[in-house]
Amino acid sequence: MKNKYHIKLYFASSFMLLFVMLSSCKEKEEKYHSIIDKIEVESKDYHGISTSSDIYLEDLKLIEITEGEHTFLIPERKSKIKSYSCIECHTEPLEKLQNNKKLKEAHWDIKLIHADKNTLNCATCHSGNDMNNLKSLTDRKISFNLSYKLCMQCHSKEFEDWKGGAHGKRLGGWAQPRASNSCVDCHNPHKPGFETRFPSWYNTKTEEERK
Amino acid sequence: MENKKWFSLNLSNRKKQSIISCGCEKTTENCNHNLVKDTEQKDGFEQVFDVKMNRRTAFKKLTASLLIGAGAVSTSCSVITDDDTKEKAQIDWEEQFKGNYKLMTDDEKNATVNRLVRSYELRTGKTISMSSKNAEEDVLFGYAFNISKCKGYMDCVSACVEENNQDRNSQMQYIRIHEMEDGKGLNFAEADDNYYHEVPAKGHFYLGTQCFHCDNPPCVEVCPVKATWKEDDGIVVIDYDWCVGCRYCMAACPYDGRRFNWSNPEIPEEEVNKEQHYLGNRLRKKGVMEKCTFCIQRSRKGKNPACVDACPTGARIFGNLLDPNSTIRWVLENKKVFRLKEDLGTEPKFWYFMD
Amino acid sequence: MKRFKILKSLVIDSIRTTTHGSKKYHLWMAFLTFVMLIGMYCYSIQLKHGLSVTGMSDSVSWGLYISNFTFLVGVAAAAVILVMPTYILKDIDFKQAVLIGEGIAVSALIMCLAFVVADMGGPSVLWHMIPGIGVFNFPNSMLAWDVIALNGYLFINISIPFYILFKLYQGKKPNPKVYIPGALISVFWAVGIHLVTAFLYQGLQARPFWNNALLGPRFLASAFAAGPALIIIVLAIIRTYTAFKIEDKTLKKIALVVTVAAQINLIMLVSELFKEFYAPTHHSESAYYLFFGLHGKTALLPWIWSAISMNVLATIVLSIHKLRNNFKVLFFACALLFIAIWIEKGFGLIVPGFIPGSYGKIVEYTPTGIEIGVTLGIWAMGAFVFTILAKTAIKIETSEMRYKKLDY
Repeated sequence: MKNKYHIKLYFASSFMLLFVMLSSCKEKEEKYHSIIDKIEVESKDYHGISTSSDIYLEDLKLIEITEGEHTFLIPERKSKIKSYSCIECHTEPLEKLQNNKKLKEAHWDIKLIHADKNTLNCATCHSGNDMNNLKSLTDRKISFNLSYKLCMQCHSKEFEDWKGGAHGKRLGGWAQPRASNSCVDCHNPHKPGFETRFPSWYNTKTEEERK
Repeated sequence: MENKKWFSLNLSNRKKQSIISCGCEKTTENCNHNLVKDTEQKDGFEQVFDVKMNRRTAFKKLTASLLIGAGAVSTSCSVITDDDTKEKAQIDWEEQFKGNYKLMTDDEKNATVNRLVRSYELRTGKTISMSSKNAEEDVLFGYAFNISKCKGYMDCVSACVEENNQDRNSQMQYIRIHEMEDGKGLNFAEADDNYYHEVPAKGHFYLGTQCFHCDNPPCVEVCPVKATWKEDDGIVVIDYDWCVGCRYCMAACPYDGRRFNWSNPEIPEEEVNKEQHYLGNRLRKKGVMEKCTFCIQRSRKGKNPACVDACPTGARIFGNLLDPNSTIRWVLENKKVFRLKEDLGTEPKFWYFMD
Repeated sequence: MKRFKILKSLVIDSIRTTTHGSKKYHLWMAFLTFVMLIGMYCYSIQLKHGLSVTGMSDSVSWGLYISNFTFLVGVAAAAVILVMPTYILKDIDFKQAVLIGEGIAVSALIMCLAFVVADMGGPSVLWHMIPGIGVFNFPNSMLAWDVIALNGYLFINISIPFYILFKLYQGKKPNPKVYIPGALISVFWAVGIHLVTAFLYQGLQARPFWNNALLGPRFLASAFAAGPALIIIVLAIIRTYTAFKIEDKTLKKIALVVTVAAQINLIMLVSELFKEFYAPTHHSESAYYLFFGLHGKTALLPWIWSAISMNVLATIVLSIHKLRNNFKVLFFACALLFIAIWIEKGFGLIVPGFIPGSYGKIVEYTPTGIEIGVTLGIWAMGAFVFTILAKTAIKIETSEMRYKKLDY
């Protein structure tokens, strides 16, 4: 009799334990296997959002470009060039200007550190005949505002990334419309590499901690 | 005031506390103990909650802090002189017993935020703006980091510290930039994440880590009081006032994404970023967790996080994963992306890629 | 109404008992009070300045407090090893020990809770954890499970002995139908608290050192070694200083339990070491740090190696019948085992979990004076609580304290 009572008790407690274990599975709100699946499913009926980066772009001078299937904004360039338009000085052909000792020297500070001499010189991009514009390798006119067209002639991979948004710093906010820096907004075309410098942060506490 | 989830005690109905003093046996008018201006620098939490103390109340506070809420009670029930002090005490009381932000209705969220703004105004005379903006539908934030582009300038780190009101004293930083040697793969153990020399250093590349806002965040699972959760737009946030400081989430995070306030955070008053969000960069107190929130105070308004804006190389890409035309989506679909410790099943929303 | 009267008289009697005693008793209590005061002072400093006064950091975010907590959960769980044979299997050899065991469980649990509170960054908002007014992340968070498990176990371990003592106090026989179900639940519960505490660590994919299936069973094995070892020592002390009679048979039986558990614990240790060092992956780095040091950082080496040698020595001594049956040797071996497991299951388990950090960085951990002060204070509190409980229980069990017996 006593034994039966014990057995019952054991059963009861084991049952309780089992119940607790079964009912305690972690709550899962997500029904997707991975984040990529989730993105795929949830973006199917994407109808746009009210957040926009318009207000952050208001003060910027931008121009809209379309390259392939991508349409986005890039900063206008001409107004940022100090001595634009060029023909204000370049009133006569280059050879004449160079020989004219009365004129002030110009562009003396520009040193071309971009590719090597076999590949590039001033005239690869600038045209002696049309100072107000750039020129492509095949002597076609390229506006200073669209200078990326010049860069893409060699840097085609970067151009692809830039169009898609993997290259080139974003302006304004993350929302549409998209505005991205053009090549020359980050890279000096005459010296496109980034400078080395000291980092703007150093943590002395971390250093101490790890001693 | 109906349907409140926090407990409130209407202390302003008390009538008798009009005269009497702070202990110097003078009436309020002549007592200048309360008038002594605090000239020393105040830290983050004290800027919000510090009640001017003399030695007696300081002692009282110290003992009272052992009891739940007794701090607030002692300030409010003891000799209160002016309406401001009374209001402060009322706010402190409501703050101590307010509910979990996640469970609040929008009205309650608003009331909480307004209370904090008012509290800051009462303590410092300065106005802050604090948002309680909710997640927008059809938004899921994601982040991509270009390892080839990062030059290790750490502009992101300092921008982040300034934007998010992090403790200057312990030099808390959410972002770490790891300087890795070429040819050794992603060798974190040998990488240096606290370098100070000219960068980029020859033969090295740079990789930044921060909170990855996992879609399956282990830190959220383990929190015993639901003080941390994933918002609908994918941002993993903390209710700093609900956190009990057990640091279980810190142990559970495989990415070193969380930080703890080991002591009172200190920020010079003039450096406090006054554009705040309740779940973002508002001032914290000691003993609570904090972390990167993708600058929720900025991103919910459509801005990029401070690190993205500060990066001079464009190595950081942020956007809406649900927008098929967003740049982040283009990166995910067209670049060879990977994430850290993918085998853990945490599903970070932070991808790395190379040119 | 009558019950309240009896209860009142019981409380008065207990207070009388606990405030009266020999000079040695008073000295002991004074000493504990002094240590507790030091602990409280240290804790007040910690409250004022935050946890920055401890040795913990963003890298090693749990330290001495959580280590002691983990260990003490094991000690508390071990009380059950005496409960089951006594109440359910009717093994009367354990009977005298069982109340002492439960007393140890109660004080260990109180210490556990104190350690958890000491480790909290915001003790003033702990009410967020109280179901009903707070928000409880159940069943997702293992810590939420642990809070329930510990408090439930505390309740069981207070109520069963209380019921028995309350009956005995009135000179009645406790009804087995009342306490046996409780004892049964507590058996399951004891295994539960320890497994849940192990799962607290085991469930973290972020920490490979803990994320290992053997952790739970090893917790149990070491708990059933360290807990009864402590009970043996305590019983030996009680036997010497009080009129309470504990037979040699009882001690020997408990010693057998300790021996078996220690042997199993050692086998599991070997299995773990084999896994970590035979085919080391980068997940073995924590174990490397613990046993051999990493990149010249060797803070834990002296601790873990002394723990292992003590553990092995104690297990060998206990395994030899002749030595185990010699009480002096037995007590020594038990003390060794207790300390060894305290190191191994305490910071030998917690600290390496954080080293190296998520990105391979090594920040070592050394507890500060304040941390040690608080820890000692909590241990003193545990001893204090136990002394009070044991003194009352013994007085009732030895029939010295009975309702209406003391007329004053």
